[in-house]
Amino acid sequence: MIQIENLEFTYSNSNKKAINNMDFSIKKGEIFGFLGPSGAGKTTTQRLIIGLLRNYKGSIKVFGKERKSWGKEFYENIGVAFDFPNLYLKLSAEENLKLIGAYYKSGRRDPAPLLERVGLLAEKDVRTENFSKGMKMRLNFIRSIMHNPELMFFDEPTSGLDPVNAHIIKEIILEQKSAGKTIFLTTHNMTVAEQLCDRVAFIVDGKIVVTGSPKDLMLEHGKKILKIEYLKEEKITSEEFEMNSMGQNENFLELLRNYEIKTIHSCEATLEEIFIKLTGKNLL
Amino acid sequence: MRLLNAIISDIRFQSKQGFYLVYVIITVMYLIILSLLPESFLRIALPLVVFSDPSVLGLFFIGGIIMLEKGQGVIQVLVVSPLTTGEYIIAKVISLSVVAVAAASAITILSSSETINWFLFLTSVVLTSGIFTLFGVVINAGCNNVNQYILKTIPYMLLLVLPCFSILGSPLLYPLTLVPSVAALRLMLGAFTQITWYESAGLTLYLLLANYLLYRYAVKIFENKIVFQD
Repeated sequence: MIQIENLEFTYSNSNKKAINNMDFSIKKGEIFGFLGPSGAGKTTTQRLIIGLLRNYKGSIKVFGKERKSWGKEFYENIGVAFDFPNLYLKLSAEENLKLIGAYYKSGRRDPAPLLERVGLLAEKDVRTENFSKGMKMRLNFIRSIMHNPELMFFDEPTSGLDPVNAHIIKEIILEQKSAGKTIFLTTHNMTVAEQLCDRVAFIVDGKIVVTGSPKDLMLEHGKKILKIEYLKEEKITSEEFEMNSMGQNENFLELLRNYEIKTIHSCEATLEEIFIKLTGKNLL
Repeated sequence: MRLLNAIISDIRFQSKQGFYLVYVIITVMYLIILSLLPESFLRIALPLVVFSDPSVLGLFFIGGIIMLEKGQGVIQVLVVSPLTTGEYIIAKVISLSVVAVAAASAITILSSSETINWFLFLTSVVLTSGIFTLFGVVINAGCNNVNQYILKTIPYMLLLVLPCFSILGSPLLYPLTLVPSVAALRLMLGAFTQITWYESAGLTLYLLLANYLLYRYAVKIFENKIVFQD
């Protein structure tokens, strides 16, 4: 779906390369997470793929064709949700959807089901200037998918949302993936990335430092240890065991037999820990 | 179809933002002022007032409209939609021309009972509106706030409005008609007074060409400064 090769980009007002020799590809039907701290080059890469920046070096192929060769028809198949709400404030939620939807060949769908899905149907006639940030973000999000695009770009899609609404948005993203859609997710929220992404790329100073599935990365960089908390003489006590050959570990088996177990945890690394380990930088 | 939707969207946006209400208030003010003028003075004042409507007012309106769209972030959304820059700009030109025609016609009909050349009148309002709207797009592309826009508009205003006074002076100043605003004013005056067919045809063709070239330039500037932010 997307192939990036030897991508380089420098802003005209800077001498420093914002993107430096970047390579990656995204398959159809994949959720690809682009993770990194602010200023690492996440948004620049996204803008290059979307076509909002030009004069890049290297190659960006989307739908099998070089990005710079695409015209405006490219956007018929693209959905973009920015990380800040951008709505006609004097228009209602429904008017906003219909107005932008009118520019797409397949955008004239009834917006009611989507509005209902994100809990905005009752407010469909309310001007968006009276919406909270969370409501605006939800409207922003459904506007980006209402024309049924093949490829979607979501920038911090759960930013500003309460846990219930963040869950709904994550559910919709997974449904889109199940429908065969490809999703490019830009975030510095590691939990969202862990929950949604098939693969992630860590980006620092315009370079990708590692790519892989969250699960594989977490196992590879974690410790093969099991941590148990149990009740001993009315105090919570903790112990760690090597995961190899645990079935033959008498201490472990005795602990399971004789004590009240409170928690059991494996010690795979979190994405945040991996990121800090590989880059020496914090995500925020 | 997309262009038609863009025009409808612009009309809806301008209406909801209260631009038409401002237009109605200004038109009523013009009508009151014109009704106080003696008939002899009205013959000169009416075309000038009608000319100022799509030009000076239009320039400020397009500035306000694009600035509001920038402020609300919707330009970002339009940029990643199939709507082309050309369609976006033409929709602005047409939607503002429609309002300019309505306001200019209302002022003319309600202020004077004298017959005018309506074809020339409408042609000059539309072409004037186009030129000033396109200038507004060009000026606006590099501005981040209303203050910047107003400041940047001043030199354009001087370059476009000052040469218009050449119409009152010597015929030797006729070459200043190359300034599109002067050509537009001559065409407007022609609708109210006598003008030869070849002069009106020449002015119309020249203004059409000026609109086309400005449109091309506005598309280029808009893409450089707003779409790609070079």
